[in-house]
Amino acid sequence: MSRMGVDLAPRNMHGLSLINPVMVASGTFGYGVEYQSLVDIQRLGGICSKGVTVRPRDGNPTPRIAETPSGMLNAIGLQNVGLRRVISEKAPIWDRWRVPVIVNISGESIQEFEELAASLEGVPGVAGLEVNISCPNIRAGGRLFADCTESAAAVTRATRDVTSLPLMVKLSPNVGDIVSIAVAVEEQGADCISLANTLLGMTIDVRTGRPGIANVSAGLSGPAIRPIIVRMVYQVAAAISVPIVGVGGVTCTEDALQYLMAGATAVQVGTANFVNPRVALEIVDGLDAYLDAHGYAHVSEVVGIALPSRRAVPTSGVC
Amino acid sequence: MDLLRAKVLSNEEIMPSTHVLALASPELGRTAAPGQFVHIRSGPTWDPLLRRPMSIYKIRPDGVSIMVRAIGAGSTMIAASVPGGWLDCLGPLGTPFELGPDSRRLLMVGGGYGVAPLVALAELALPRDCEVVLLVGAASAQYVFPSALLPTDVEYEVATVDGTLGHHGLVTELAARYLEWSDAIYACGPTPMLRAVALAARPLARAGGGAVPSTKRVELAMEQDMGCAMGVCLACVVKTRRGLQRVCRDGPVFRAEELVWESSA
Ligand SMILES: Cc1cc2nc3c(=O)[nH]c(=O)nc-3n(C[C@H](O)[C@H](O)[C@H](O)COP(=O)(O)OP(=O)(O)OC[C@H]3O[C@@H](n4cnc5c(N)ncnc54)[C@H](O)[C@@H]3O)c2cc1C
Ligand SMILES: Cc1cc2nc3c(=O)[nH]c(=O)nc-3n(C[C@H](O)[C@H](O)[C@H](O)COP(=O)(O)O)c2cc1C
Ligand code: FES
Repeated sequence: MSRMGVDLAPRNMHGLSLINPVMVASGTFGYGVEYQSLVDIQRLGGICSKGVTVRPRDGNPTPRIAETPSGMLNAIGLQNVGLRRVISEKAPIWDRWRVPVIVNISGESIQEFEELAASLEGVPGVAGLEVNISCPNIRAGGRLFADCTESAAAVTRATRDVTSLPLMVKLSPNVGDIVSIAVAVEEQGADCISLANTLLGMTIDVRTGRPGIANVSAGLSGPAIRPIIVRMVYQVAAAISVPIVGVGGVTCTEDALQYLMAGATAVQVGTANFVNPRVALEIVDGLDAYLDAHGYAHVSEVVGIALPSRRAVPTSGVC
Repeated sequence: MDLLRAKVLSNEEIMPSTHVLALASPELGRTAAPGQFVHIRSGPTWDPLLRRPMSIYKIRPDGVSIMVRAIGAGSTMIAASVPGGWLDCLGPLGTPFELGPDSRRLLMVGGGYGVAPLVALAELALPRDCEVVLLVGAASAQYVFPSALLPTDVEYEVATVDGTLGHHGLVTELAARYLEWSDAIYACGPTPMLRAVALAARPLARAGGGAVPSTKRVELAMEQDMGCAMGVCLACVVKTRRGLQRVCRDGPVFRAEELVWESSA
């Protein structure tokens, strides 16, 4: 493994080896093919697909997005082609790629998560699953699976039981106690966690006096949320031992370094792709240059250096 | 289509808060077509965050021009670009207008800055033996696109909402007179205007909703809030007979008969 390579599922029989720690986030890179003409996608650490549901979904009415200070709100509503077409049309394309594709799955019940995970097991081209637990649990009256420790743990267990694929569980930041949820998800068999999905917000169009997004409530992403998620990664890193993937407002090498130093093994770049489709690769090059400049032999040496446990021991090469 | 830096060659305010920017980019000049757009970063920082879509307004071998109406933070920054500076552009994007091989009498209907792609289309069509009638609607006289900027062969009529110039009322009211005459219709502007054009151009639609497909080419350039403009974020969808389609990729130009209009729109 090169000095940029990381394994996000060291405990898993398949492993989830990335050539570098910079992935692109679900919903911001389609199925990977759309950016191919602009970006050398094979140089990415990994691609998280658009969220996939059991059946195709049309998503929410428009307007679906609104810009906010250094950020954006979205309520796309998981528009996607559905599980069957992902397996028949997208996976065969991914199978020809070197870059690992992690399929982001969204269910409205535990059974749907099981069906998604079981159906994707063994499909060539699928390197792992990212379990998006920030979706409403229809059985529990629409409360999100991610909202409480028990339901987050239950989804993790259920998917773990039906697949041997590397399992990345994506947590929601809209919770009071992120650490206990992360601990529960780790205990139930997650190979790694991604932190985090969008923060809930809304905006009002004062010309019309109506919510700016048709769905009213929407997910905030982009640089605006970065400090919040960096703090969460830092807290969670002290409590769990499986790898953490930092997601939220990564726009440049320094942002990625913040996450790594807070304890993340890798990062995902989301909204920033819309602004600069090549930004993830610029970060790959930036991290490489950073390792050179600071005399690190491997990117993992940077991971967690901001954590209290690591700060106690002066780390060589950091100055 | 590419991610490129284009040098701003000139910036001219042609109407209040409406600027024409000539951009140097042989690649855009070579590949752009009327109806397509470029997705432009408003500045080097991450606030305003998203790029802004701007239609191709003129096409030259060495580049393209855009016409920017400054309405909010992003468009105001782009409109303030100084000659010699650079704009970070992604494009050309989207599907262009199509000139049918047999179309000779073209009716073009533009609302506000929606005139921009129609100017590019008129310049493409005139050398191909087409007659062009361009109807433009604006809020008031000061926002009416100056006729001096049009090719002389274009027949030009205007409508203003406040009656300060041309027809007092909506541009779609002017369009009625040319529907019979035209053998193709192209429109760009606010969604209610496009909807009115689509309905007016469907004379064969029968009561009871059973629309008889018109053979006349009617193409509408739609607008929708955009994130990526690369077809991935799914922010920009519109309803069509083939299901949801993305304005940035599957459009912005759609055949009128493909679109499904919301009753509340
Ligand atoms: C395919 C496509 C092509 C386009 N081509 C052009 C073009 O050629 N020239 C051009 O000038 N624009 C064009 N636009 C529109 C342009 O992209 C937007 O006006 C611009 O993105 C607005 O950004 P902003 O930062 O200035 O405003 P924002 O900050 O995004 O919005 C500012 C405020 O103005 C309000 N607002 C938005 N639209 C209007 C409106 N029409 N009238 C009044 N208030 C409004 C918003 O709700 C907000 O409150 C095009 C859009 C699309 C989708
Ligand atoms: C338009 C859009 C669509 C998204 N769709 C999904 C999705 O389908 N599944 C998911 O888990 N996260 C989705 N996300 C969340 C992102 O993957 C990411 O967690 C979030 O945007 C924060 O990262 P960022 O600030 O870098 O964008 C979406 C985000 C955006 C902006
Ligand atoms: S703007 Fe993202 S899909 Fe069209």
